[in-house]
Formats: sequence, C-alpha cells, structure tokens
Amino acid sequence: MLAYLLVSGLASGCLYALVAMGLVVVYKSTTVVNFAHGELFMVAGFFAYTLHVLLRVPYLPALLLAVLASFALGMLTERLAYRPLMHAPTISLVLAAVGFSFVLKGLARQIWGGRGDYIPFPPLLGTDPIIFGEIVLVPQQLVVVAATIICMVLFAAFFRWTRTGKTMQATAENAKAARLVGIRVDRVYALTWGLGAAAAGVAAVLMAPLTFVYPDIGMSLLVKAFAAAVLGGFGSLPGAILGGLSVGVIEQLAGGYLHTSLMEISAFVIIMAVLIVRPTGFLGARGLRRV
Amino acid sequence: MPSIGTRAQVMGVALLALALFPLVANPYLLYVVNLGVIYVVLAVGLNLLLGFGGQFAFANAALFGIGAYATGLLQVRLQWPYLLAVGAGAVFTTGVGLLVALPALRLSGLYLAMATLAFAQFTQWVLLNWETVTFGAGGFKIPPPRFDPLPLTSAQGIYYLSLFVAAVLVILAWNVVRSRVGRALVAIRDSELAAEALAIDLARYKTIAFVLSAFYAGMAGALYSATLNFVAPEGFDLFQMVVQFSMVVVGGLGSIWGSVLGAGLLLAMQEGLRAFKGAQEIAFGLLLMLCIIFLPEGLISFLKRHMRGWSEPLRRPDPRR
Amino acid sequence: MRTFRFAAILLSVLAASVLPAVPAAHAQSAVGVTADTVKIGTFGALTGPGYLYGKIIMNGAETVYNEVNKAGGIHGRKIVLVREDDRCDAAAAIAAVKKLIFQEQVFMLHGGGCSNATIAARPEIEKGNLPFVVFASVADEVTVPTHPQIFSTALSASIESASQLEFALKQGATRIAVISQRDAWGRSRYTPLMEHFKRKGITPVADEELSGDANDATPQVLRLRQARPDAVLMVLYPKPGAVFLRDAHKVGFKPVAIGQTALGDLIAFREQVGIPGAIDRFYTISHVRYTVEDPEMEKWRALLQQNFSSDRLSVYNVVGIASAQVVVEVLKRAGKDLTREKVQAELQKLKGFDTGIYPGVITCTPTDHQCHKTPAWIQLVGDKVKTVAVTPVER
Repeated sequence: MLAYLLVSGLASGCLYALVAMGLVVVYKSTTVVNFAHGELFMVAGFFAYTLHVLLRVPYLPALLLAVLASFALGMLTERLAYRPLMHAPTISLVLAAVGFSFVLKGLARQIWGGRGDYIPFPPLLGTDPIIFGEIVLVPQQLVVVAATIICMVLFAAFFRWTRTGKTMQATAENAKAARLVGIRVDRVYALTWGLGAAAAGVAAVLMAPLTFVYPDIGMSLLVKAFAAAVLGGFGSLPGAILGGLSVGVIEQLAGGYLHTSLMEISAFVIIMAVLIVRPTGFLGARGLRRV
Repeated sequence: MPSIGTRAQVMGVALLALALFPLVANPYLLYVVNLGVIYVVLAVGLNLLLGFGGQFAFANAALFGIGAYATGLLQVRLQWPYLLAVGAGAVFTTGVGLLVALPALRLSGLYLAMATLAFAQFTQWVLLNWETVTFGAGGFKIPPPRFDPLPLTSAQGIYYLSLFVAAVLVILAWNVVRSRVGRALVAIRDSELAAEALAIDLARYKTIAFVLSAFYAGMAGALYSATLNFVAPEGFDLFQMVVQFSMVVVGGLGSIWGSVLGAGLLLAMQEGLRAFKGAQEIAFGLLLMLCIIFLPEGLISFLKRHMRGWSEPLRRPDPRR
Repeated sequence: MRTFRFAAILLSVLAASVLPAVPAAHAQSAVGVTADTVKIGTFGALTGPGYLYGKIIMNGAETVYNEVNKAGGIHGRKIVLVREDDRCDAAAAIAAVKKLIFQEQVFMLHGGGCSNATIAARPEIEKGNLPFVVFASVADEVTVPTHPQIFSTALSASIESASQLEFALKQGATRIAVISQRDAWGRSRYTPLMEHFKRKGITPVADEELSGDANDATPQVLRLRQARPDAVLMVLYPKPGAVFLRDAHKVGFKPVAIGQTALGDLIAFREQVGIPGAIDRFYTISHVRYTVEDPEMEKWRALLQQNFSSDRLSVYNVVGIASAQVVVEVLKRAGKDLTREKVQAELQKLKGFDTGIYPGVITCTPTDHQCHKTPAWIQLVGDKVKTVAVTPVER
C-alpha cells in the first residue's frame, strides 16, 4: 500500500509542483500572487481538449498549442489585471485577478460546460497499467513525472543561461536598477506572466488524462499550489517543487493511513504547523526588511 | 454635482428610509435588504483589519461561519433563547479570533495570507465533518426567533435587530478609527518598522484589529443565521471571502462609509445579476475588474470628489512601492 | 434645505421601485394566474457542477411547456416558466424561492435540483402556501414529513438505496461493499442505505468514503480490494464515480459496480471513465425508461436541439420532460377555474397516471407524496442502454 500511495503522491505532487512553479515565477518577478492562475490552468486544459479531442490534432502539437495559448493568456492577464494596478495595494491586485478568473470560468462554462462538464481526456500512451513488482502505474503518471523533470530542467537552463532569463532575474532583484540599465521592464513583466501561465498550461495538459477538465477546477488547484509554494518558501523555485511533491505525498499518505476525509485538509494542517515553527517556509530566505 | 447635504444628514435620511422599508416591501425584498445590512457589518469589520490595519487575512468568512454556527447550535442543541445565543455566539467568535491572532502576529504578507487561508479551510473541514456537533454537510434549520411582546413578525424583528446592530457597530467603528487605536493601526499599515520606531506596540494593536473584526464577523454571523433560518457550511467558504474582500475594496479601503456603500453595492450586484441567469459569473467578474481598475480607491473616492463633507481622516492606504 | 430635497427624491425613488412589487389584494387562489397565462416558477442549479440536475432538467420541462403552448395552452392559458438559479447552495435557494413566490408571484413551483438546497428552501415554500412538484431532488426530507402541497415525481433516496442493496443481492452477491460521498447529498443516501443493510441483517464488508472533488481514489480502491467484495454500491456523483472506476481498473479490481440516478447518464459516464470495458459490470438506476437517444424520444430530441442548442443532451432532459407531463396533466384536470387548492386536490388524487416515460405509474396518496416508486435498472451493452430490470417498490 505504501508503495502505491507514494507513487500516486509523487505523480500528483509533480503536477502541484508545476503549477506552483508558475505561481512562484510570477511572484519572484513582480511580488504579486496571480489569483487567476488556477483558471489559466483550466482554460489550457479545455484548449487542449478542443484541439486534441474535438479537432483531432495529435497530442504533441495540441500540447504545444495549448501551452502557447496559455502563455498568451498569461500576458493578457498581466495587461488587464496587473499593469493598471501596479501601484495599488496588494488586495486590489488580488481582487482584479479574481474578477478575471470569474470571467474565465464563466466563459469556459458557457463555451464548453454545456457539452459535458467533466470532460475526459485520452491519455498519451494508453490505459493499461504498468506493473513493477508491487507498484502499479498508469503510463500517464510516468509521462507526468518525465515531463515535470524536463520542465524543471528547461526552466533552470532558461534562467541560468539565456539572456532573457537573466534579464528576468535582474528585474526581479531590483526593478529600478533594471530600468536604469535599459531593460524594458514592461516587456519583462509580460513575459514573466506568460511564462508562469505556460507552466500551468503544461501541467493542465499533463493532468487532463488523469483527472478531468472542468470549469471549477481552478480554485481548488490554486489553493493547493499556493500551499505548495508557501511550504517551499515563496520565492524559491526548487522550494516550489519540493513543496508540491510534499503536498502530493502528504495527501495520499493521510488519506491512506488516517482517514479519507483528511486528504483535503492534511496539507493545510502541515502548513499551519510549518508556519508556526518556521514562518518563511522550508527553503524561504529570512528576508531583509526594506526600510 | 451639488452637495446633497452633509454626510450625517444623508446617513440619517437613509436610516429613516431603511426603518420604514418593512412597511412597503415584500418578503423577498425585505430579505435582500436585511442581508445587505448584515454585509455592512461584515464589511466594516473587515475594513478595520484590512483597510486600516493592512493585515491581509483570509479568516473573516470562517469567523462569520463560526458566529452563525455558534448562535444556531446554542439555540438548537441547548435551547437557548435567541438574543442570549447572539451574544454568546459573538463572544465565542471573538475568542476564536483571538486564538487565530496570536500565531498570526508573527507572520506578514503572504505567510499571513496562507496561515489564515489554512485556518479557513480547516474551519470548513470541521463544520463538514464534526457531525455530532455541527450536523455536518447538510446543515441544520433554526426555528425563527420570536420577538414577543413586540408586535413584529420574525422577519421584521430580525430586520430591525440587524439595523440596530449595524448602526451601533458602524458608529463604534467610526469612533475607533478616529481614536488612538485607529491611528496606531494606520501607522502599522503604512510601515511596521516606522511604527515600531515610534514605540507603537505592534502585537497589541494587531491583536485589537483581529479581535474587533472577529467580533463584527461573529455578530454578522449571528444575525445571518436567523435571517436565513438555516445554517450550512457552503456559505462560509472562499467564495464568501472573495465577496467580503470585494465589498471592502470596491467601497474603499480605509473608509468606513466606503464599506457601507460597498456592502450595499455588492448585494445589489448579487441579486441584480440573477437576471443574467447563466452568465452571472462573467458579469460579476467583469464588474469587479472594472470597479477595481477604474476606481482603485473605491466608490468613496468618487463621492469625495463630488460632495463636500465626505472626507475621512487617515483614509488612503499608501501605494505599493 | 438641499437635504430635504434629497430626502424627498430618495424616498420617492425607493417607493417607486418597491411599490409595484407590493401584491395587490388578490385572492390567494388567483396569484400567478391571468385569463390567458399561468406562471410556473422553477429553481435549481443553472451554474456550477449541479447544473445537470437543474438547467438540463428545466430545458426538458420547458420543451414540454412550449409544445403545450403551441397547441393553445391549458384551457386557453399559456404556461410561463420563470427560472431562478440556486447554484446548489442553501442560501441561494432560499433567496431564489423567496423571489419566485413574492416578487415574481408564481402560481406554483416545479423544480428542486440539489437536495440540500431544496431542503433549505422548504420552510419558505411551506410559508408560501403554493403547490410544489419536485422534479429531481431525491433526499427523503424533501417530501417527509408529508406536507399537503409538496409532491415529488423523482425517486427518493431511500427507495434508491434500498433498491441498490436489493439488486446486489439479486445478482447473487454475498460480500457487499459501499463507497460513498459524505457531503449532504451522499449522506442523504448513505443513511437509508445503512438502515436497509441493518434491516436485512447484513454488514458491508468495506465502507469507504470518497470526496466529491477527489482526483484520485487509490487508497480507497486498495482498501476495498483487500475486502474482496462481490459487489460495490456506489453512492457517488459522476466525477468521483469515474475516478473510482478508473483507479479500480488500474489495480485490476473489477467487481460488480452498482450505481444510482446521479450516475444515470451511462453514455456520458462511459466517456468519462475513458477505459474500454471498465463499465461492463456497471449497473445503475434511471428515473425514466428512455434515454434521449432512443427512437421514442426522437421528437423531443429535435425540439431540444432546436431550442437549447448550446446545452448538452442528456437523460436528464427526459427527466424534465416526464415531470412536466405530470404537471400539465394536473393543470388540465384542475379545470378552467384554476386555483392552487384545486391543483393540490388533483395532485393528491393522482393515481396510476402513466406518462409513458417513467418506468412505472405516478400515484400520490394523501399520506404519501412520494409519487414515483419504480426504479429502472439499466446497463450499457455495446452502444445501447438496456433496461435490465424494473423494480417497483411496495407502497
């Protein structure tokens, strides 16, 4: 049983990690948590469904197109819900993003909801389980883990070695100084939001065969991704990954060994405990206070 | 726009209109306005914490729920009379708010948001699963409170009680804001470091802010349970929190009267958008975005520009750096 | 003095907006009825995941009402259907019902999707003193204790739960397990199910809980498998139901699976589970005899596609159609001089009314307003939904 639970937990943890990475990328750059992140995920999932199932586009191109679409949607969110409010109090930004998330959710329900709300998505490699001794896996779970690793590597490489990546890091560290050296900060912000949304898009397409795509998935996923990001110490990409995996595994273990009703809440209990002991999360830096 | 009178005069007229309302309204409209009055209490309480105190906390909807449940359960399980249950419910909620405040003092920003969010989810879980006490997911009915010997029906009685409580609490908030407590909160909101440097006890004033907002939420919950005559967990979830935040922000952070307006507007939106049937979510989301983008300082900023006598001290929170 | 002018304006605006809603001194019986219209109010989930048991059913009912109107109405009166959204939420249901009764002033109510919302709204409906025909809410508390004006054309939770157990036993199962949601909906079925187990003197070999928005049921499936049941009774909505069957298939666990009306749309369910062969041993209950794809429903399907083209076609449309036919019949029998009391009397007298769509007849008695007592058991064979058994319950 433990083996099953760990494997399930790691697979769902990878998804939380991807979504959390998207949140953290945007936060690091703009110090804002994108509350429409869950809905960006959801729209990407529906997009992929429309492309792959309704229009019969093959899986990989559908994946790429869906990710591109969510990239664009992320940039749109930045334009609508962030840029006009850059200097407003945080709560205003949060609510503007939330408002946008309602619009997206409502639109998704109108466009796709009528056709069946829990839309099934065929997996990439078929449904027959793979058996490793005691452990039973569905091939899609392996795809998820592999894809998450690839994404993590790509992200790391992007930030480390590409010029754009370094530009984003510079802007994150000090936007004023970045402007002074000629970095187009607006463009960087737009790119960052796009990138964060793209991470969610990848997660959505990977997750769709394992769960279902439905308009209300955004909020609960956002809360879990938020939990994962906080657990890892908001502002740290490796932390987001660690947090995501932890949330996934904790859920499954709590559900398996304690009681199924605890699955929903176990992540939060852990977080409350962690925050009491270590108010900045596992890998969070004890930040300097700006005077 | 010419001035329509001082703020006190306008509020007086509005209060009079509200007091006369039950004489002309059908039960549906009475119910809707009653909810609006309860929302005013919620919004004002939350504004004390969020707009004046600058604490971005997600606990208010859960505390609202705890107030409703406490009051309802005292009536249904222990047969307490309604008014006694209201008082006890509000006090209990305040106590819970105090318990939440203590660890929350060490946290700020995102971590405070997360911790209070965790508390909110935990409360939902308890309400859903602790069936022996809370009746679980189905919720429970509350017998309508009686207001003998006054010649009022239950619905009218609750309406006037809500109106009375709201008036008292709004005036209380108004006074708190202009007192030393209010000034300390604003100082903390604008810069914790500077406030500490001025020998303002952060822990004490943050706790006061939490406790006050918890009390308001508890009272609102107690009134809500009797207005609905039914208590169920779904009404106190994250969506409710979004509605509450919206009331405060759309009305105007750091403005008591803004919260009153925001509450009224949000309620009007919720019921008014029924006309859109399936497209309610889209309409609500769009309206919210438009309000926030075009009136970032809330409705009250619009009023302030056009009518004299509407400014409030220490109203505007500092813009983000 | 400006203030007084303002006050005067404000008060008159208030009065102008509110007074039209004040009901004129109608006699109780004439509310919602004019010489050529009768207003029926309906409430249920128009948005949110419960919309299948709200909006989709309303689409079916409205199609029937439109047809009746095209033929001239009932005794010359056209039916006007007013919809309100309760989002499957108790507070919203209370507001929706208040609005329908006091603002829209409807003649009667025909609705009720999510049970917990309907239960919350019941006191308001009772206060409103108007007939209420339930089309989908199955929880027992909706009709029990019996109220003179509340009748149901949907199966009830206790009927379905008892039927689930009986069906399992009839299939020869000796070790029976249960997996259920424990939210309000799940509880309304789980409790009568457990009572029925006790009455039969059997104990479930495993009793698992699954949350309505779970994406993974591996722990539950593993524990159920350990108990080696012959049959698993599923008290689940489509999404957790599909998650369960999919995860069960994953670990090679393939018991006889027994569902209920929430899993009544077999073709959609098969698509959701997504694994060929996974629902070969799955049986479930339907409120109605036909699916929307059956040839007998041809005419209705065309009308639905025409009027509600953006909404999906589903067996729940048929549920709405059947229920609306009962309402139409009762309105016809109440006669030209239409009053609420007459409708109520006709509902109480309704015996053996065969819509041709419900598996059995609709019969109400003065003490039992649960008028539909005939579950139909269906299974998907190939691409066709086949009725495996029809099991009327003793009155």
